[in-house]
Amino acid sequence: MLVISRRAGESIVIADGIEIEVLETGHNRVKLGIRAPREIAVLRKEVELTRHENQAANRAIPSDLLSSVLGKLHR
Amino acid sequence: MPACETKYFGRVRYEDGVTVQFAGGLPGFETLHCFLLLEDAARKPVVFLQSLEDPHLCFLTVPVWSVDPGYHLKIPDDDLRALGLAPDRQPAIGTEVICLAIVSVAADGTSTANLLAPVVIRRNSGMAVQAVRDDAQYGSRHLLLGPVEEAPCW
Repeated sequence: MLVISRRAGESIVIADGIEIEVLETGHNRVKLGIRAPREIAVLRKEVELTRHENQAANRAIPSDLLSSVLGKLHR
Repeated sequence: MPACETKYFGRVRYEDGVTVQFAGGLPGFETLHCFLLLEDAARKPVVFLQSLEDPHLCFLTVPVWSVDPGYHLKIPDDDLRALGLAPDRQPAIGTEVICLAIVSVAADGTSTANLLAPVVIRRNSGMAVQAVRDDAQYGSRHLLLGPVEEAPCW
């Protein structure tokens, strides 16, 4: 992993047209500003994780397995 | 009374005004906005989150408090606004909002709940978001159930 130290107001540039600026640093939080072309999706990593989890949750479950899981979760 | 096809319950009739509306969809399903909550006493505590736009899409969910009675919300400001709530406080689970965790079932039956990103639904309006937390308090794969063993064949 490339590691770069930056202060508030400083930026890094990735390839053509993507710029990430450090706007503010707090004691446990950093506020970033991101400039990127419209077609580049910028997501918090947690959102990306949730996207994968949602897709996994939508995979077909064989009906006997589903009944067994629902039976075990039942209270 | 409107009706819809569902993944697990066949054709279901429902009352106007009980639908759940995700203005921005859910991560990975951004084009689906309209859902219905279906419950079955024999399946408690599971709540089925059925898409009205895609009959084949139905998430299994469980109330967050059935997984962790101490669960507390931390909805980011943007999501609070999407719910029509002021960003200065978190809504109360139960009285103001319904809070559900989406369940994933793996091929061996291992089941996990996404406590990182609860589905939050306002009781009075049906407005909803999947509110992805920005703290590291809860994980996206909280274990509910280990592998389901095959019944022995005699």
